[in-house]
Amino acid sequence: MQRIWYMAKRYPLIFPALIIILFWFFIATFGPSLMPFSYTAMDMDHQMTAPGVGEHLMGTDSLGRDIWSRIVYGSRSILTIALLTSLFSSLAGVILGFTAGYFGGRIDALFLRVMDIMMAIPPLVLSMVVLGVLGNSNILTLTLIVSIAYTPATARVARGTLLSCKNIEYVDAARLRGESHLYIMFREILPNTMGPIIVEITARFAYSIMMVASLGFLGVGLQPPTPDWGMMVIENKTIIKAAPWAVLYPSLAIASLVIAVSVFSDFLSKVVIRDQ
Amino acid sequence: MTNKPILDIHNLNVVYETPSGPIVAIRDLALELNANEALGIIGESGCGKSTLSYAILDYLPSNARRSGSIMFNGEDLLLKTEKEMQNYRGDRIAMVYQNPYSALNPSLTIGEQLDEVTRIHRGFSRTQARKESIQSLQDLSLGEAEGIVRRYPHQVSGGIQQRICIAMALLCQPDIMILDEPTTALDVTTEASILDIIGELKERHRMSLIYISHDIGIVNKISDRIAVMYRGEIVELGPQEELFNHPKHPYTRALINCMPRAGVKKETTRLNTIPGYVTRRSADERGCPFASRCEKKNAVCEEKYGLREIESGHLAACDRAYATDVPDKSTFAPLIPKANARPGADQTDNASSGIEPGIGPAPLLELHEVYKYYKNRKRTVRALDGINAKIEKHDVLGLVGESGCGKSTMGHLVAGLLEPTKGNIHFDGKDISLTWKHRSRDTIRDIQLVFQNPGRSLNPSFSVEQILDRPIKKMLKIRSRRERRAVMINLLKKVDLGEEYLSRPSTRLSGGEKQRIAVARAFVTSPRLIVCDEPTSALDVSVQASVLNLLGELQEQSHTSYLFISHDLNVVNYISDHILVMYLGRVCEYGLRDEVVNPPYHPYTEALLSAAPDVNPSHKQKPIRLEGAPPDPSAQIVGCPFAGRCHKKIDGLCDTTPPPLKRLSETHYIFCHLSEDRLRGVAHL
Repeated sequence: MQRIWYMAKRYPLIFPALIIILFWFFIATFGPSLMPFSYTAMDMDHQMTAPGVGEHLMGTDSLGRDIWSRIVYGSRSILTIALLTSLFSSLAGVILGFTAGYFGGRIDALFLRVMDIMMAIPPLVLSMVVLGVLGNSNILTLTLIVSIAYTPATARVARGTLLSCKNIEYVDAARLRGESHLYIMFREILPNTMGPIIVEITARFAYSIMMVASLGFLGVGLQPPTPDWGMMVIENKTIIKAAPWAVLYPSLAIASLVIAVSVFSDFLSKVVIRDQ
Repeated sequence: MTNKPILDIHNLNVVYETPSGPIVAIRDLALELNANEALGIIGESGCGKSTLSYAILDYLPSNARRSGSIMFNGEDLLLKTEKEMQNYRGDRIAMVYQNPYSALNPSLTIGEQLDEVTRIHRGFSRTQARKESIQSLQDLSLGEAEGIVRRYPHQVSGGIQQRICIAMALLCQPDIMILDEPTTALDVTTEASILDIIGELKERHRMSLIYISHDIGIVNKISDRIAVMYRGEIVELGPQEELFNHPKHPYTRALINCMPRAGVKKETTRLNTIPGYVTRRSADERGCPFASRCEKKNAVCEEKYGLREIESGHLAACDRAYATDVPDKSTFAPLIPKANARPGADQTDNASSGIEPGIGPAPLLELHEVYKYYKNRKRTVRALDGINAKIEKHDVLGLVGESGCGKSTMGHLVAGLLEPTKGNIHFDGKDISLTWKHRSRDTIRDIQLVFQNPGRSLNPSFSVEQILDRPIKKMLKIRSRRERRAVMINLLKKVDLGEEYLSRPSTRLSGGEKQRIAVARAFVTSPRLIVCDEPTSALDVSVQASVLNLLGELQEQSHTSYLFISHDLNVVNYISDHILVMYLGRVCEYGLRDEVVNPPYHPYTEALLSAAPDVNPSHKQKPIRLEGAPPDPSAQIVGCPFAGRCHKKIDGLCDTTPPPLKRLSETHYIFCHLSEDRLRGVAHL
């Protein structure tokens, strides 16, 4: 605790980052019940009104929908998907990477080749194609597909941290008392690799936000009328001159969250690395 | 020798800012170094020895602050800017580091790295620089210097790497050379020859040396004056012989006494230990730094007691230095005799009569013609090349040899981490030439392993309780938590630790405490054989002494056998009943301890014994210098593996014919061509 505080003082960016992250989580949890407008309500008298005019905090879009309300609702889906994705891809990555790294030899070689093939296709393209084929995406399919697209990267990190621990003598000591492979992998080794893995989960969280926003922007994310930050940017692209706020605010929402999570992840990695 | 000191340190303080507050690494330190003088600095790890040398060069981490003054030839180094300091580093004050492998750049040839020094510091041309580099290597008696400069660091042995580092330091013709544990990472035989070279160079180049080491024996060999450091302060300073013969500070005495040395054996003596361990020093702590561990502490010790001169040139920071109740010649006397000393005759009883099976009582462990080859596409490394050995019941077999001789491989084969390529290992009559995967539950329980580095053998994520609990549950099959806890507390008591240690995370323990926990873990199953793989070489001398005492006592109480692996002959000599000397995967000599460490002995044993640093200042005999490194273990050796480096080699015989087994007594064997008289030859000491 003491050292986290000490590190935080040397890395003051962490404070605004934490505030932003907490802000978005608060908004996603309680925001919708506090909103004056529904995210689908069209205020026909106030189309493309500027921020602050009437009761629209961030203005409205071409259909007269309240931008702020849509951002608040959109934060729910993006946070849910990103959180689940980072957890699922890390979980799958740890299982795959650990198995490959621990047993080595042919299993490892096969694993590496499969991962190479998967990594040759950019995750965004992979997700886009799969989602495009499936059509009609929802939170479940999005989570699943983005998780799979990110698994090779997390699996490599997991494998790397396992390899750095695998030849330390406490593993030999466990073998010499006849422990099973599962016990050695997940009870002896896993706790010692938790640092880098937690850093990986948070970094993955930031990537996932970007990915979900990008998919929304490309039109293969959540389907309208469900509000989605990426989709809001593309929807309002045509009115960017008349109502720039309709593009600006969703973009700012994406940027603030991604940057804040990245800073947080960076800070964690500093704490973890210095600790070892 | 000029009267004015070349380096004059006054009131030096170094403080590290850390998350848990400032830590004083060096406090009010004063030290003088005269021209052409070798000053040895000793102390345990964490005493600020290295910090001192880095402070002189202004090469400390960013969270360190220095104050005081370091006068070098009349100029204060503390006031120099970073740019000005560059003219001192290397040029005037050179440094040689502990690990030559990481001090050299692996991607440049040795020649390029050496040339760079003279080209930058002395403005030499390429050809001039190369000539100078080759000359410097030849000065260090490295034959074939032209070949070496074209190689990369990883293509030469550790000993040569360290000589290259020394050559590099010398190229600038510095006034002062600081050597920070330059031989700690090397084998004893290499160490001995490097120490010789350093001594010669000092005379030839007329420079001053600061030699930092935790090993009193080494400092004894090389220094004119010795400073003893403890927790950032110099507690004693004096001429080498004076300090060893009449140590005044309790810490110096304790440090000298806890080294196992020739002639000290477990049957008759317990090693002296220093209770506790080196702790960090906070800024507000006052008084004698050693007070908390000192046996002779009194009220004065809580106050600051500075260095005072006792005799001309001999200073000590202890009020007890004048006391008469402390015997003066304490250095070689106060080894604590054991109450229940085992008579020496006892050992011959359990020593059976032959390597051949079937004679005498069956030994606990036998190795028959064991080979272990490590193969890859390019080459085959012969780690063990036909080893025969045995361990009796309730007996300690010490296994010595230089690094790379296969001693750890042998330990790992016995413990079951590896499988022999050829040959059999019998344990209590059962064939156990298998790895842990295929061994029976009983065998796994009966053979335990204590690793070299307890920091790595204890899982850093676990508490002591978790570390001990699992083997008890897994191997003793005790279901009840309360029962397991009772077993754990009992084990902790065995290794002199209290119940309160159970809840501590293993990372919060000191090195000695960790190794005690590792020993406790090995004793969980009451094994019949424990393989101790260099269990004390990662520890400080004072901690080493207490762990050796503990291992000795536990062995006696529990009737366990040990296979005790170490590169340190003094340690092996202390703990073993039998000793096996190995060289390049083969046995050189085997016998009862006293037979091995006394003549007649194998020339290799003789070389090892003479290379071992001695704490007795009057013994300054010239060691038998082993030239070169052990031969490449992948090469096929026709004759005696040691022939290439042997000082008693018979030309035309040793390198063509494998050495015959010479039986010198019922229990003593030597593999050598030399006649018994020749083996007796030059006596040690």
